[in-house]
Amino acid sequence: MATDYWLSKLMYDLQDPALRAAYRADRATVLAKYKLDDAVLRALETHDIAVLAPRVNAYLLRFYYQYSEVKDPEFIAGLRALPKDYLNG
Amino acid sequence: MADLVGVFAASHAPLVARDWDNFSPSVREGLAVGYDKVGARLKAAAPDVILEIATDHWVNFFLDNLPSVCIGIGAENDGPPEPFMRRVYPYPTLIGHAGLGRHLAETALADDFEPAVSHRLTLDHGFCIPLWRAGLTPPPPIVPVLVNEIEPPMLSVRRCLEWGRLIARAIDTYPENIRVAILASGGLSHSIGEPSMGAIEVEFDEESIRLFDAGAEQPMIDYFEAKLPGAGNGGHEVRSWFIAHAAAGSRGFELLDYRPVPEVYVGCGFASWRME
Repeated sequence: MATDYWLSKLMYDLQDPALRAAYRADRATVLAKYKLDDAVLRALETHDIAVLAPRVNAYLLRFYYQYSEVKDPEFIAGLRALPKDYLNG
Repeated sequence: MADLVGVFAASHAPLVARDWDNFSPSVREGLAVGYDKVGARLKAAAPDVILEIATDHWVNFFLDNLPSVCIGIGAENDGPPEPFMRRVYPYPTLIGHAGLGRHLAETALADDFEPAVSHRLTLDHGFCIPLWRAGLTPPPPIVPVLVNEIEPPMLSVRRCLEWGRLIARAIDTYPENIRVAILASGGLSHSIGEPSMGAIEVEFDEESIRLFDAGAEQPMIDYFEAKLPGAGNGGHEVRSWFIAHAAAGSRGFELLDYRPVPEVYVGCGFASWRME
């Protein structure tokens, strides 16, 4: 699957504590600045790793789940549940 | 002429900083073995400048601008931005060495390499954990060399070795009489944000160590081009080690410590290259 530039950009930008605070307070306003398709917007609501993981660099994915306060064991369990060919979507 | 006075490698897992105080004493003591040895060798080498090679972890660069190699040519760089680093690392800025950085960039361009340059970089945990845990507090001036080891496409093994030789030439031709050490940060096997996250490929790490110790480049090229994709995305950081290897003359190295550390998700390696 091709890299989703805008999803990657969101995850990259969320390294900024001020943007993270804004994202927690008013997610829709922040997301409106990124060209994200409906499937990705739904996946962000539920942290659906099967949709998000194939679209971004794995380090950015890690950052995003850390910002989302998902603990490592849960994150790793989600990763291990991905289909073997998940990168080819 | 500048002198290359030592070439070293150390791993840099973020959890080393984030969880240091929470580790059991045995984990802390185990991790300290390698960092302490690298620190002792570096201090004994008494470098005026450390040329440090590491990847950027999405701090300076993003997908809209992602150089394969970027040389820091500024007089000063910013310290690590990560909150877990700011808690433990006391330096908000790190002194650069603009003269050597610029000379390296000019030498590269004259030799048909095309690096990016930056007059001010932000040096994340990849740069600062080895400096911190090795006890280089404060560190000497740093010439940072950022190598893309995080997002394909990446430098080939062969090109990394060529970069190492280029760095050695640049140090050798730098007109100021200074002592320069090289510190390669990163590796060995680890996996971050992938289904294999947490796995440490000990077999890969041990064969890597054997090849670095043996020194010959072609077996390294053959092995790593085939096996790097299976060593986890963090394993790509061993590119820093290839550069160090060739900069030291590809004569092999002395392993200072290796241990898989599941608590930090990394096969942690520490080494000092043979110079003669």
